[in-house]
Amino acid sequence: MEQGAARGRFRNSEAANGLALVSPTAIYAILLLAAPLAAVVLYSLMVDSKVGLSSGLTFDNYLKVWTGRIDQALMLRSLTVSSVVTLVTVLLAYPVAYFVSFHVKPERKSMWIFLITIPFWTSYLIRVFLWKVILGYNGVVNSGLMSLGIIDEPLTIINYSLGSMIMTLAHAYAAFAILPIFVSLEKIDRSLLEAGQDLGESKLMTFIRVTLPLSMPGVIAAVLIVFIPTIGDYVTPELIGGGKLPMIANRIEAIMLKQNDKALGSAIAVTAMLIVTVVSVVFLLLNRRFLKGQSK
Amino acid sequence: MTTTEKPNMIEFRDVHKYYGDYHALRGINATIKAGEFFSLLGPSGCGKTTLLRTIAGFEDISSGAVLIDDRKMDDVPANKRPTNMVFQSYAIFPHLTVEENVGFGLRRDPRSKEEKAKAVAEALEMVGLKGYGKRAAHALSGGQRQRVALARALILKPKVLLLDEPLSALDKKIREQMQVELIKLQREVGITFVLVTHDQEEALVMSDRIAVMFEGQIAQLADPETLYRRPNSRKVANFIGTMNFLPAEVLSEGAGGIEVEAQGFGRMTLSSDQVMSGEAGQGAVVGFRPETLTILYDSQTATDREVMGTIEEVVYFGDMTYYDVKLDGTTEALRISMRNVFGRPVLEIGTRARVAWSPGALVMFR
Repeated sequence: MEQGAARGRFRNSEAANGLALVSPTAIYAILLLAAPLAAVVLYSLMVDSKVGLSSGLTFDNYLKVWTGRIDQALMLRSLTVSSVVTLVTVLLAYPVAYFVSFHVKPERKSMWIFLITIPFWTSYLIRVFLWKVILGYNGVVNSGLMSLGIIDEPLTIINYSLGSMIMTLAHAYAAFAILPIFVSLEKIDRSLLEAGQDLGESKLMTFIRVTLPLSMPGVIAAVLIVFIPTIGDYVTPELIGGGKLPMIANRIEAIMLKQNDKALGSAIAVTAMLIVTVVSVVFLLLNRRFLKGQSK
Repeated sequence: MTTTEKPNMIEFRDVHKYYGDYHALRGINATIKAGEFFSLLGPSGCGKTTLLRTIAGFEDISSGAVLIDDRKMDDVPANKRPTNMVFQSYAIFPHLTVEENVGFGLRRDPRSKEEKAKAVAEALEMVGLKGYGKRAAHALSGGQRQRVALARALILKPKVLLLDEPLSALDKKIREQMQVELIKLQREVGITFVLVTHDQEEALVMSDRIAVMFEGQIAQLADPETLYRRPNSRKVANFIGTMNFLPAEVLSEGAGGIEVEAQGFGRMTLSSDQVMSGEAGQGAVVGFRPETLTILYDSQTATDREVMGTIEEVVYFGDMTYYDVKLDGTTEALRISMRNVFGRPVLEIGTRARVAWSPGALVMFR
């Protein structure tokens, strides 16, 4: 009797309702996110030989990755590229977001946001490929400059270089950085800016003392949104780097598919993930600091 | 001390403001004296906040001039004006502590860090927030935010403190308490306060003088008592408190006053200062405040004049009772307010009542 009553209470409780409501999403998340991740972690602890994956668990793969010259170098290159891309993207995105938020008439803002997202109507692959057309050896820039007689032979620094990869990635993620910064700027109560001036500060100082700190959550969100996917980017090094400047994702592909070593590939993937996690956590903590005191 | 002896602090000279085609301020001429508690009162959209913002420098004017302390403010940006503002939303910086908020304007102050910290602590004490310095701004209640906003503005010792509906977001009890505190604070610091409000009671309670605004113009500028007793138009009379109106007719005008016949009240003679003219197109009316009429109980007699009527509605307020009384010979009921006194019963609907009145207490609009 008592048990039945308890069960009845549970069924009617908010907790049960909540669980019931969240279960489709939870099942989806477990099957498509957690399960593959667990598989990769499991693979990384096995040894892949001609006959198949071993059943015993070992850290050998990780040792190989962490001490391997190539893996270290590629990981460092990935970190450098994604850090620079993040810096460039956020620095360029902030003025755009600021302009739309503060200088575009309210009724025009949604149109501006709409226009900013237009590049996303074509696939990422095509956009990257178009940069190859622009920056390539026989691309628009080189042939243009040559036909104008400014250069005699194609510039090689604009193709197959880290610089061109950074340019491509910064363009590809621009809107992702603009949107969160725009949202955080939109949330700033405009009377705070008037208060800053009323208390004797110029417009520039009001920006530094009020607008910038209040928009930091958006900046940090933008940093995460750009940093996390670019560190694992595969397409740009392949197409713009011409395969000569591989990043960590290209390394994983080579090991996993070309050398058919799922275990070692998984270990590299998990390592990369851990590094991303560490960087993200640092930024999340920073974000917490800035978010503190902003919830009304 | 009368306000006329004091020098001018703010002067509006034929101020106009357009937003595109919309004429928000239509020729404002007024002066605010130094040390005065001045209110801009009006319904929403009357331009009172716009006018306040022209003082602060947040709003450019289309023509005319705004002077602060005899200096034209045309080219003076908001951050260089000798004014500080308490915003309607308080505009407390959410990323800073209470202390940092109050000390925000002291960045370029030449005093040492310790002296500034002392000034901040003193400002907080003045507004009753001693010991709140280290708190995060978001952890404050509405009334506390209000006080932080006040301390933040007053610490800079402005010539003029501008208050944009500062009490409208507070609940009734705290609002009344803050009204009294603001009056005391103003006397203490001696700074000119300019308050924007749509609450006529608040304006009457707090101000030395009030400018009543409608549609971008000042309808009447006077001290609270004059505004209440001698409103210069029906619109002002209706906006400030309640007023009963009855149709009237001018019989004759002479040196001794104006002979008037009012519906229900009969003939009377009014002095010329009781007659407000300038409302073209509308018939003449006489206006009574509800408390200037008295319902007489059994043994009482009228000191001046007396009419008969029937009680049509009774609204009991605890300390007061409002009666709607239809006088014999009138078309509409008049509202009469009576203080509830011990031993005096609240009358019932349908009761015949004798109403005492006096010609001296009414105003005529024609």
